Amino acid sequence: MALLLRSFVRRGVCLSRIQSVSISPLICRHAAPMGTTAKEEMNKFWAKNTRLNRPMSPHLTIYRWSVPMVMSVTFRGTGVALSVAISAFAAAALVLPGSYPYYLDLIHSLWVGPALIGLAKLGIAFPVSFHTLNGVRHLWWDIGKGFRIPEVYRTGYTVIGLSLLTSAAVAFLL
Amino acid sequence: MASIVRLSSVCRRGVKPLFFQTTLLARPLVVPHHYQEQPHQLTAKIHASQALYAGSGSKAASMHWTAERVLSIVLLAMGPVAYYQPGPVIDYSLAAALTLHGHWGLGQVLTDYVHGEAKIKMANAGLFLLSTVTFAGLCYFNYHDVGICKAVALLWSK
Repeated sequence: MALLLRSFVRRGVCLSRIQSVSISPLICRHAAPMGTTAKEEMNKFWAKNTRLNRPMSPHLTIYRWSVPMVMSVTFRGTGVALSVAISAFAAAALVLPGSYPYYLDLIHSLWVGPALIGLAKLGIAFPVSFHTLNGVRHLWWDIGKGFRIPEVYRTGYTVIGLSLLTSAAVAFLL
Repeated sequence: MASIVRLSSVCRRGVKPLFFQTTLLARPLVVPHHYQEQPHQLTAKIHASQALYAGSGSKAASMHWTAERVLSIVLLAMGPVAYYQPGPVIDYSLAAALTLHGHWGLGQVLTDYVHGEAKIKMANAGLFLLSTVTFAGLCYFNYHDVGICKAVALLWSK
């Protein structure tokens, strides 16, 4: 995407040049008129649009939801949630006076019935399981494999299935 | 590469970019003459100008990307180790790996959604603080309390 943007901008600059200097676009592209990086150009995009107070185009609200899209959002959601949970745990460890077994017993005494405990375990196991398995799928993509659409769906359904299975197994059997 | 060239040449004429290769090829495009006579040279020139930039940037971003993947794999490997060989070594390793993985992951989220020089700086500072507290807390827990592996085991025994 950045590549497309860059070739855009380069051509854009050439076009404005053409009006005044009438160099052919082909030669202009050769000359590489701007030395901006993709990052700089992205920043310029945001600076301009914030300055002009432009609203963001609708995206999540209008785009047709698909399995890969939902999985990607969930992957990010579970990642953020797990990170925040770990940070909260760490902060609690620093701040709270008692020891872990003490608080665990405290929470356990409040818990009513095995169903709720099972549900809580599932609540922890599923994010971990889904994030881990989809993470493996991401690593698979990172080595360049599995980009064809049927493959994306196949690996996607595999991840969903496996994470449901493993989290249920871990929550109710272990 | 060639497909990107075609896309941009369509875009230039103010036509909505089509992402379906076959439709693109089927349209009778009024392509500027010089594009038609030197399609391969065009691609070659884009490659050439890309080479101009290849040297000027630093490799920091790409090294960071690689480091993120390496860390993910290391973290994956730590799972079974934590299960079969719990103890202080894996506890502290997990503390480090989890914190760093989370730090880099949240960093990517911030990069995606936070824009504007000042906001980016503040967000990253906040993240750094959070990760520091997280690592400190986990190490404290490992030292003064039961440790990560034992904590998970206890949680699950209930």
